[in-house]
Amino acid sequence: MRYLRLAGIFWAASAAARMEYRAAFAVSLVAAVVETAGKLFGVYLFYSNGYDLGGWRWQEALLVLGFAQLVDAFFILLFQPNLRRISEMVQDGTLDFVLLKPVDGQFWMSVQQVGVVGFPYLVTALALLLFAGSASGLPAGGWGLLGVAAVAAVLLGYAVAFLLATTSIWFVKIFNVVYFLSSMIWSAQYPVQAYARPFRLFMTFVLPVYFMTTAPAELALGRAQASWAWALFAVALGFFLLSRAFWRFALRYYSSASS
Amino acid sequence: MSALTAKMRTLLSVYYAYMLEYRAEIVFWVLGGLVPFFFMAAWSEAARQGHTAYTPGEYERYFFAVFIARQLAIVWANWTFSDWVRTGKLSFHLLQPLDPAWRILADHAAERGVRLPMLALIGFVFALLFPGALVWPGWAPLLLGLAASTLAFLLSFLVAYSVGLLSFWFEDATEIFELWYVLMLFFSGMLAPLSLYPEAVQRAVYYTPFPHLVYLPASYWSGLEPADPRGFAVLGFWTLVFFAVARLLWRAGRRRFSAMGA
Repeated sequence: MRYLRLAGIFWAASAAARMEYRAAFAVSLVAAVVETAGKLFGVYLFYSNGYDLGGWRWQEALLVLGFAQLVDAFFILLFQPNLRRISEMVQDGTLDFVLLKPVDGQFWMSVQQVGVVGFPYLVTALALLLFAGSASGLPAGGWGLLGVAAVAAVLLGYAVAFLLATTSIWFVKIFNVVYFLSSMIWSAQYPVQAYARPFRLFMTFVLPVYFMTTAPAELALGRAQASWAWALFAVALGFFLLSRAFWRFALRYYSSASS
Repeated sequence: MSALTAKMRTLLSVYYAYMLEYRAEIVFWVLGGLVPFFFMAAWSEAARQGHTAYTPGEYERYFFAVFIARQLAIVWANWTFSDWVRTGKLSFHLLQPLDPAWRILADHAAERGVRLPMLALIGFVFALLFPGALVWPGWAPLLLGLAASTLAFLLSFLVAYSVGLLSFWFEDATEIFELWYVLMLFFSGMLAPLSLYPEAVQRAVYYTPFPHLVYLPASYWSGLEPADPRGFAVLGFWTLVFFAVARLLWRAGRRRFSAMGA
């Protein structure tokens, strides 16, 4: 409860500060719409050339796209603005001040900032999910699973991003890790079945992007019987716990600015 | 002129050393650029099921060329310049008898020096994973493609720099470049070879720089479709336009700069 209140305070302050840059927000509105249109166009290209992305109806494929956009929106909204600060704070040595605060360090590092330019992306993502969900005729249970799976997918995205960003304790300047991850989400905007087998394995076991986009869609659509989709929840929880353990482990190697 | 050459040489070596220091970051940046290979995977799977005009091998060659073309044209001048304006670092650069554009250009050029060996490594791994996908395009197409991608880099740089210059008026202008980036993503032939786009779209974007930024060098290198040399004219035209824009913005914006007691 205390942490929820803290997050509220952080976000209000951060959003107020970011709203100083109104021009940026206006541009991001346009960019979000253009980007969504472009992604839809990408899916259209496949279907207009007669390829069904490995056995998906187009409405269902849009559901996958919606999840990709959702996770991506959280990258812009929360993960990028916060996790880049780990790298900056290690560079400047200001991480000390965070560790001294009577708040969980990982919590503070993860929620302190909010990138308001991500809101338009979040809105388009939710619109896409709603549209694709109703176009593929999701039953009530499907909508429920969609919601739960979306939470798990975002949690997984966060955990992987935090895990990689933590390595900046050793590598110092590693902000591009987050860029790398969000570009990998890009590659997961189509169902994994659309890709050749080696790529499918890579996206499931090496970079767990399958669990962020295709798996939630499979769960919501009820296509999950014969697949790994249910593992989403275990994978998300596992990565989250791992990110916590790794953060504590990494801090033992953090040798601050002056010590 | 020779004074400028000497300055550029110094700046290049300084930024090269700086970039080497942060090579881990560049590694992830290069890895983040691997996205075209996922489009490649989807399209060659489509080809394997007999749905499109090209063979899987042709897609592999095409998307590798797209990857290289994109890597050579990456720019971040908007971000650097905007940062200088916001933090006031620009003041120090204004004191030097050198247009700060040169410094940012040297920064980009030196980074290519660190990036190239990584691209060579990725090319090597790619050739191992997809035997027969990489075919020697011949000297003329190779050089023409390089010329096209150099022009594409110059144009992207000028656009990014112009956007950065807007920071004189808007505190945070870098987002505007996002628009350019997104349009380039969708209309430069990264999603699919442009020849698969609907005719109407191909015609509509023809005179914009987007279809030529990546597709022109990529068609020279991959030989998927005959390259369209008129793309050089389109790119050249827009390069001149944005050169003029950058000069105008610089002249007008400099006077407005007042950060940190300047």
